Amino acid sequence: MAFDFEKFQRFGPAAFVLKAILAAVAADVILLGCILLRRGYRRWYFARRDARVIEIRQQWDALIRGEIPFEAWRNNRRDCQIVESMALDAFELAGSAESAQILKFLRTSGLIAKCTFEARRHQGWRRREALVALGRTRAPEAIPPLTEALRDRDAETRLAALRGLERMACPEAAKGILNWISESGLTVPALPVQSALIQCCAERPQILISHLQHTEGPVRELLARVLGEVATPVLQTSLLQFVDDELPELRAAAARALSQSQPQIAMASLTELSQDPIWFVRLRAIVSLGELRNPSAVSILLRGLTDSKRLVRVRAAEALLKIGSDHAAMFEEVVALNDRYGLDAFLTAIDNAGLVGTIQQELSQRPPSARKDALLEILTAKSLPTAGLMPELAASAKAASAL
Amino acid sequence: MIQFLEFSNLALFYYYLCCNTAYLIMLMAALHTSIKHQHRLKSLETSWIKLSPLTPPITILMPARNEEKSISIAVKNLLTLDYSELELIVINDGSSDRTLELLRQEFRLRPVKAVYVAEALSAPVRQLYRSDVVPNLLVIDKDSGGSKADAVNAGLNAATSPYICVIDADSVLERDALLRIMAPVLADPNRVIAVGGIVRVLNGSELEGGRMRRVRLPRKSIEILQVIEYLRAFLIGREAWAGKNMLLIISGAFGVFRTDLVRAIGGYRSHAIGEDIDLVTRLHRYMRDKGQEYEIRFVPDPVCWTEAPSDLASLRSQRSRWQKGLLDVLWPQRDMLFRPRYGRIGCFALPYLWIFELFAPVIEVGGILTIILAACAGMLSHEFFLQFLLFGYAFATVISIGSVLLEELTYKRYNDWQDVIRLVSYCFLEHFPYRQLQMLWRLQGMWQYLRGDIAWGVLQRVGLQSAVVKQE
Repeated sequence: MAFDFEKFQRFGPAAFVLKAILAAVAADVILLGCILLRRGYRRWYFARRDARVIEIRQQWDALIRGEIPFEAWRNNRRDCQIVESMALDAFELAGSAESAQILKFLRTSGLIAKCTFEARRHQGWRRREALVALGRTRAPEAIPPLTEALRDRDAETRLAALRGLERMACPEAAKGILNWISESGLTVPALPVQSALIQCCAERPQILISHLQHTEGPVRELLARVLGEVATPVLQTSLLQFVDDELPELRAAAARALSQSQPQIAMASLTELSQDPIWFVRLRAIVSLGELRNPSAVSILLRGLTDSKRLVRVRAAEALLKIGSDHAAMFEEVVALNDRYGLDAFLTAIDNAGLVGTIQQELSQRPPSARKDALLEILTAKSLPTAGLMPELAASAKAASAL
Repeated sequence: MIQFLEFSNLALFYYYLCCNTAYLIMLMAALHTSIKHQHRLKSLETSWIKLSPLTPPITILMPARNEEKSISIAVKNLLTLDYSELELIVINDGSSDRTLELLRQEFRLRPVKAVYVAEALSAPVRQLYRSDVVPNLLVIDKDSGGSKADAVNAGLNAATSPYICVIDADSVLERDALLRIMAPVLADPNRVIAVGGIVRVLNGSELEGGRMRRVRLPRKSIEILQVIEYLRAFLIGREAWAGKNMLLIISGAFGVFRTDLVRAIGGYRSHAIGEDIDLVTRLHRYMRDKGQEYEIRFVPDPVCWTEAPSDLASLRSQRSRWQKGLLDVLWPQRDMLFRPRYGRIGCFALPYLWIFELFAPVIEVGGILTIILAACAGMLSHEFFLQFLLFGYAFATVISIGSVLLEELTYKRYNDWQDVIRLVSYCFLEHFPYRQLQMLWRLQGMWQYLRGDIAWGVLQRVGLQSAVVKQE
């Protein structure tokens, strides 16, 4: 061992350590130099940039009106970047008249054409940056380069293109996305596609229906979820065909979308869906029943309070509060269910809505009776009596369960 | 004896060499990842995340124990956050000061019966409160469980969102921090199960209306040294490990997790000392046992500013606790080591933690002792010793300055020239005696843990109040 250590000291490591020290010191100096250079450069760069931004801002109106020749700034890379970012920021904040003027400027100055060129020519982050800028313009001519980028090999670029199309929020962009997913399936995570389609299909949700009929698997599930978000009363007859669909996502979407329909059309389907074996379909149906605010839904919602899933019970309780104005009577019906989970969900809902005091007051105003006292006690104790319900309430409970 | 001393000196040299080489590799990897991330940021617009109808709700869990100096500002900071759907849960973990009283006054709390399903282990809950002025604020008043994990579990039991975000009560988030931390989740919600943000030292900076007003370097040396440590740990360590999906630590001060998965593993281990590393390690284990594809990410742009200890006693208490926590996590998970089933976690990340984090104080303190012994025995080559010292010093300085450079290249929070110069100067000063002191504290922590002392220890806090700028 002693020999090894000697050898180690004299030959290999000692020389190596010396070199390593020199290398480390050199690295320290280089790193320090980088920090100082970077600081200095940034200071110089931003001072010049800020000064230029102020100059451009002073001439902004003339620039937008096209009174300053585009060549004055377009051939200078820094100026062009400044004008582009200022125009896009202004476009996002502008009202309709001003935005039309800025869009015209973006077109005539060639900024959209420049972004389109960059989106087609570049790769990687430069392409993504151009795609984001194109999305921000919301100009229809930006849709083709954005849809082309959906077929890029890089997943991040595809996501940038999707976000760009999402910004467009128009049926043409939706068509581009729908064609792409029909062609190549889901090559990006579902959520960004869903988000983009929700924005783009909001105006014309009908375009989803034909795709729903011709796709299958995860794409169909995704389109179903989109449909659930964007459905309008216009679609109500188309939606009814999905109430019996084998895909639970589609049934849930139909349930959700039916909240936008006429109660007389939606009630029968929602009643059926509220008893679906899949819990999230029941949940959607219960929430939709609450949205419809139809008094005939009370009995279905009371049944929802006894559901095996906590979330369904909680939503059923919230839906009941949306429908009924006589909260004390509603409370009485909930107690009559004799279901402590259902009661717990309802009490939570009234607590969250700040209605405990109101119910207490409404009950107190009733003529004195054992029933009234029992209800007040349950409301205060926030649980059913351990000895069981009093006979009168128990009778109501039986009636409720028979219902 | 002589042979032992020779061997130990040699071993110490190689240990330093390996350790610094590992840091150097991480610095390179972090530099690469950071530059890539910077490019990615150019096409990220947080407003899209904010406006998207599919941005999932988040429940923020803020455990608070004796936080009267910070709680109001911390909660007000949460109210300024830019995010579409937030639920705020503050857990008063048996505070003996005015924490709950201040919350009651400030946010007009009233007792309620909210959804609370005791799935994760936690000490008994006394009362739940809702605010009359902030509808999405829920306060849980509970008995002290003796650990932060216990308090977070209580919050987890009441959380109703698909994601939870755990934040310390002595920390403030930047306004867009949640939007930024959720970006990887939104890009791939099925794969990304947890995301960590960066935690930085608040001391010295100024707050106004619950928001960061001006970022400055702290005045005290002990605080500046921690700034460098945090930069190194987050911008180099976390960035490099996360780049290869081997991240084992998401800071307890700021991280987002999928609620269903945290519940699936039984929540936080209620008596865990290092609850943050414990949770992430168990998540890795769970996902690998299930054979599911997943990612645990780190994003360096959402910033959480936290109060760092400003006196030696508190720092000592914190560091010895961290070491206890590390041992407390690594020992129960030792069966993951070198098992192919746990892939790179078992083969790289955990062995790294064992060798270069857990054993570091034992090896370094032991090494120093043997060098002294060798010198006393007259068998130390002074020339070689000096070279070794210089080598270790210069190499470690490269890593520290590298982290400052990374900060300069990317996030540039310190705008003042003076701050940068001071920061760089401290990169040369932190290796003696601060590093050795730390090693002693960590060694002490291990000793305490082995003796069964698992108490958290008391930290003296100045509180967020001290950072608030007084209005004229």
